[in-house]
Formats: sequence, structure tokens, C-alpha cells
Amino acid sequence: MPPIIDEDKCTLCGNCVDICTEDVFFGSKKKQLPRVTYPHECVYCNACVEECPAEGAVRLRLPLPMMLMYKPAPTA
Amino acid sequence: MEIEHIKADVLCVGGGIGGLMAAIRASELGAKAVVAEKGNALHSGKGGGGCDHYLSYIPEIHGPDMDAFIEEMLQTQQRHNFEGLGMNRIRVHIAKTFDIVKMWESWGIPMKYRGEYHYAGHAFPGGFRCLMKYEGRNQKPILTKKALEKGVEIVNRVMVFDLVSDGNKVYGAIGLNTRDEKIVVFEAKSVILGTGGISRLYPSPTPGWFNNIATRLSLTGDGRAMAYRAGAELQNMEMRIQHAGPKYYARFGQATWIGVFRDPQDRPIGPFVTKPERLYGDITPEVNKNIFLEYAQAGKGPVYMDGRGMSQEDLDYMMYWLPHEGNTPLIEHMKADGIDYLKHPVEFMTYDQGSGGRIVTNEEGETSINGLYAVGDELANGVSNASVFGWISGENATLYAKGANIPDGKEIQDLIDEKKGLLEKIRGQKNGPDWKEVNVALQQIMSDYSGALRTEALLDTGLFHLKRLKQKALESIIAGNQHELGRSIEVLNMIDIGELVFICSKERKETRGLHIRRDYPLTNPRLNNKVHIIKEVDHRPVTEWRPTQK
Ligand SMILES: Cc1cc2nc3c(=O)[nH]c(=O)nc-3n(C[C@H](O)[C@H](O)[C@H](O)COP(=O)(O)OP(=O)(O)OC[C@H]3O[C@@H](n4cnc5c(N)ncnc54)[C@H](O)[C@@H]3O)c2cc1C
Ligand code: SF4
Ligand code: SF4
Repeated sequence: MPPIIDEDKCTLCGNCVDICTEDVFFGSKKKQLPRVTYPHECVYCNACVEECPAEGAVRLRLPLPMMLMYKPAPTA
Repeated sequence: MEIEHIKADVLCVGGGIGGLMAAIRASELGAKAVVAEKGNALHSGKGGGGCDHYLSYIPEIHGPDMDAFIEEMLQTQQRHNFEGLGMNRIRVHIAKTFDIVKMWESWGIPMKYRGEYHYAGHAFPGGFRCLMKYEGRNQKPILTKKALEKGVEIVNRVMVFDLVSDGNKVYGAIGLNTRDEKIVVFEAKSVILGTGGISRLYPSPTPGWFNNIATRLSLTGDGRAMAYRAGAELQNMEMRIQHAGPKYYARFGQATWIGVFRDPQDRPIGPFVTKPERLYGDITPEVNKNIFLEYAQAGKGPVYMDGRGMSQEDLDYMMYWLPHEGNTPLIEHMKADGIDYLKHPVEFMTYDQGSGGRIVTNEEGETSINGLYAVGDELANGVSNASVFGWISGENATLYAKGANIPDGKEIQDLIDEKKGLLEKIRGQKNGPDWKEVNVALQQIMSDYSGALRTEALLDTGLFHLKRLKQKALESIIAGNQHELGRSIEVLNMIDIGELVFICSKERKETRGLHIRRDYPLTNPRLNNKVHIIKEVDHRPVTEWRPTQK
């Protein structure tokens, strides 16, 4: 869930900082690597990922308490 | 804190689907329309991650009898959604839906699937399918662009938190900038509230976590709280709403899944489908959202959404729609964890969505206060409701604004001084609880004293402690910056809403739907067609029962 920025891929465009409704990147400075100030306010809406021009520069990590509970397939 | 003044004919509070549609219409009709948005309108609100179902009636598809369509629709989850709003309003809504569908299509929101209007999901096999599938993933950027093209001014990062009103008439609103040290005062001839739902009054599936929610952290019932404080009427604040979705991963989109809800022995839990049906889904939880909780409590769970037996083509279809329904991260997680839906049923649960209370409006979108309108989730859930009444309210607020003026102002100045004082006081407080601590305390009181089970004794006790909490929060909540200040005001708003839930729960001396009074187990038929009104008179809450609007 907290967004993770890949320093090597990020072009410092600031789109994610502008777009995030929850302002997870609050306090980030223009033309600098976005700062994930409030990771626990991310609602994993995916907007930052969708609006990022550099593929893979921002991704979301799903926190463990939210992993899906599925029924395992019976083993043969 | 610096003060910025913005003037408008029509101020839309909230740049969600309802607020943007209202602003577009108002601007088109010549009004100076301003949208004040807490986040960034491009992806804010419940519609910000996308939606894929549009409730709509097309005579060529559903036949000429609109009432037959409405009757069918009211057997689904829309029954609770539109409860207490009156048939006239429902008819006005449904009759307008096809116009909006065509309008959205012309703006670039794809409303057709493979060249045709296509209805699927939220449906009983054999009945009307009332929800159109549409590609809503980019709906917010498209609506935002349209609003800007029409000349709407969008002010992002401003959280509006009170209305300027004389108790009879509204003529503006006051907000705080959530990034810069600024207060924004809107002087407006009419105001449309479209601040969406209430997301964290009750606990999320993960205790103490606020962001494991199907909607947005920033949807906190601000519209309802400020409408009430301005003297407007609210209704049915005690009614609880629930939603169902994947266990522990709070998400909307239950009706986008294809499959059968089954118990651990693979028995269907509902009577509607026995194999995955692309056009219907499994509507069982719309008949009873609590069903997953009931199974868990009876030791009969877990319950799974089971897609086994579906074709690869049906799976591709479902996976095509889930991203439009804001579920891309969920699909990514399934891929990463090797969850193959053709083999692995996924467990579902019931989530608590808080208060189903709403702002009282008529078919024109007017509230009980002159110049104040309300749209969207302030009244009922859904994209179709938000867009139709956004449009209608935008029109009526513009008409109203033509004959209205803004008194110059001592009242405005007094309010600015009072609110500035409150904000600066919070910013100046030290060593107290932050918003999260207050929010956890609020959630536990709501859940334990006004949650699944209610009695006079529990409600009295809970209300007493909620008032203590409010006092403590006002005196000590801390905020290190404007963002945290916004979060603090949000939680104070939710405490106000919580108080109304308690007061109205006490007054509803019956059991109805999810309002379960252990001390009043009967459903009182005398209250069948009544709405429960609450409003503030002389700084005190006053409740009343009133017949549902026709
Ligand atoms: C994942 C998901 C999928 C959904 N799918 C469907 C679907 O397929 N079909 C359907 O009919 N419905 C669907 N819904 C519901 C639908 O999105 C909402 O009913 C609809 O968006 C409501 O519109 P609204 O304008 O009332 O509120 P929202 O779109 O939620 O907008 C409210 C806006 O107000 C802003 N705001 C809040 N408080 C303030 C404040 N104090 N000051 C300024 N701004 C403020 C918010 O930031 C937000 O932008 C879905 C919801 C979710 C979460
Ligand atoms: S996923 Fe959404 S809430 Fe989370 S950081 Fe990205 S834009 Fe913000
Ligand atoms: S949007 Fe992408 S490239 Fe731009 S600042 Fe954010 S992570 Fe970097």
C-alpha cells in the first residue's frame, strides 16, 4: 500500500504529488524525489501509478493485513 | 493564517461526480461556477478510481413502462439506497439517466461495450438488468477537463468546513487550504454540497487502520456536518449501511465479480445462481449484505466468491471490467500471489459503511435552507444519482443565484474570526492526541455503543462518552501542519455526525433493517412511510417524524 518510488526511474515530474487525493506525498518539493510522508493514508487508489509517465517509477505495496483470503485448490 | 477571498454565483463543495456535473451545468447556463475540492478533482472521491455500472433506463431496451423498471430496480440494493427519498424523486432521476449517458458518451466516457449498450450485474436472472456496463476508469479526468473547458474554476486542496448562513439562507462557505497556511472564504449566491460519503466513523476490517476502506480516507461527511450546523435538515441518520467485498481487502465491486457465493462445502448460499453467470453475477448479498457476517457468527463460514467452472472468456470479461471498477491493485495482488480465480475461490466479508443518513432535499436538489443544494452521496449512493442530480442542482442553483445577493458582511467577518480562532488554536496545541488517536476513540465508541446492537442504556452511555471525547478533542487535538489540520477538522466533523447517529438511534424506538434495538425488537408499521428528521434549533438538536415525500 505505501507507494514506493524507484529513484532510478522517477523523472521528478511531480504528477503523483499533484494528483494524490489523500496527499500521501505532502511536503514534497518541486523537481525533487517525491517524499512518502503519510504512507498509512494511502488508499491504494492507483491514481499515482496511472498518472506516472515513467513506467514502474511508482508502485504500490499491498500491506500484509490486506492479503486476499482464498481457498487453496485441492492438491492432486 | 492568511485569508483569501473567492467570489462565485454557484459554489460546488466537492469536485466529485456530483459537484463537477453541477458546476458544468451552472457554468453552461452563464453562472460563475467554482468547485472547491479537498484533494485534486482529477482523481478524487469515490468515482476517482473508476466505476463500471451506470443505473440507467433506455426505453428501447427496457420497454416503455418506466415504473416496471423502477419496481425491478427496487428489489436490488437500490431499495435501501433510495429509501425515504420518495417516488417522485426516483422517477425524475430514472427518466433523466439516458440523457446523461448520451452526454457522457459525447464527452468521451465510453458507455458502450463492443458498440452496444450492455447491461450486466446487480441483477436477478430473468429480470431486467438495470445497470449499464461502462468504462469509467477515466471518468474523473474527463469530467474535470469538461468543467475547465466550460469555464469552471476548480480550487484544489481546499477543505470547506463551514457554511456562511443566517440559518435561513446560505451565502458562502469557509475552507482551509490543506497545503499552505491559508483560510479561503467563498462568497457565493448559492452553494451545492457534494462532499460524498462517510468513510471512517466505524472501524475498518483491520482494527485501527483507517486506510483499509473501500472508498477514500478523505470522505468524512463534511457536507452533512456543515449542513446541520447551518440549520439544514438531515434524515435517517441512525440507519446503518453495510457493504460486501473481498475479505480484509476493503473494495467495492462485488457486482463486477462473476461466480457463485458458496460455503465451505461448496453449497451456494443463495437461491439465484448455481454456476457463474456473466450477465447477473450473484445478487445474494444485495438481498442481505449482512449474510457473510451471519455465516461467520453461526460458524458456517467462510463464504467464497467462487468462479470455478467459468470459461476463460468469462474470466477475461471480468478482468476487463475490474480495473474500470477501481480494482487494478487487487488484480496485481492476485497475480503476485498466484491466485488463479479459475481455481481459487476468494473469501468475502461484510464491511461496516457507517451512517446512511442524508441531507433532506426535494426533486430540485434544494435543501431546507435557501440557496443550499445537495447532490450525490449526500443523498444516495451511485454514479447515476450523482450525475443526474448534479446536473439538476446545477441548473436550479443557477436560477436561484440570478435573484440572490450576498449581504456585506459583519456576519461573514464574525464567522471568519471565529473559525480562524479555532484553526489557529488547534495548530497551536501541543502534546495532545493527533487525529488518528481521536478517530480510533470515536470508532470504538460508535461500534460498541451505536453499532450492530443498540439499547437505550448503550446509547445513553455512548452519547455521554462521545461528548466527553468531543470536549477533549477540541481542547487538545494537535496538528503539525495544514494537512494534519484538515484531518483534525475531519474527525471533529465525524464526531458531530456520530452525535446525531446516537440521538436519532435513541428516538427510533423500533428495529428496522440494520438498526437493531434489543429493547424495541418490533418493526413499527406506523413508521413505515416516515422519515426521521433532525435539525438544529437554538443550538439544540430537534427531531421529528415526517411522511416520506411522495
Ligand atoms: C471503487 C468504487 C467503485 C464504484 N463503482 C460504482 C459503480 O460501478 N456504479 C455506481 O453507480 N456507483 C459506484 N460507486 C459509487 C460512486 O462512485 C459514488 O456514488 C459517486 O462517486 C458519488 O459521487 P459524489 O460526487 O456524490 O461523491 P464523490 O465522487 O465521492 O466526491 C466527493 C468529493 O468531495 C470532496 N470533498 C469531500 N469533503 C470535502 C470538503 N470538506 N471540502 C471540499 N471537498 C470535499 C472529495 O474529495 C470528493 O472529490 C463506486 C464507488 C467506489 C469507491
Ligand atoms: S495509490 Fe492513491 S492514495 Fe495511494 S499514494 Fe497513490 S494516489 Fe495517493
Ligand atoms: S509521477 Fe512518476 S515520474 Fe513523476 S514524480 Fe511521481 S514517481 Fe516520479
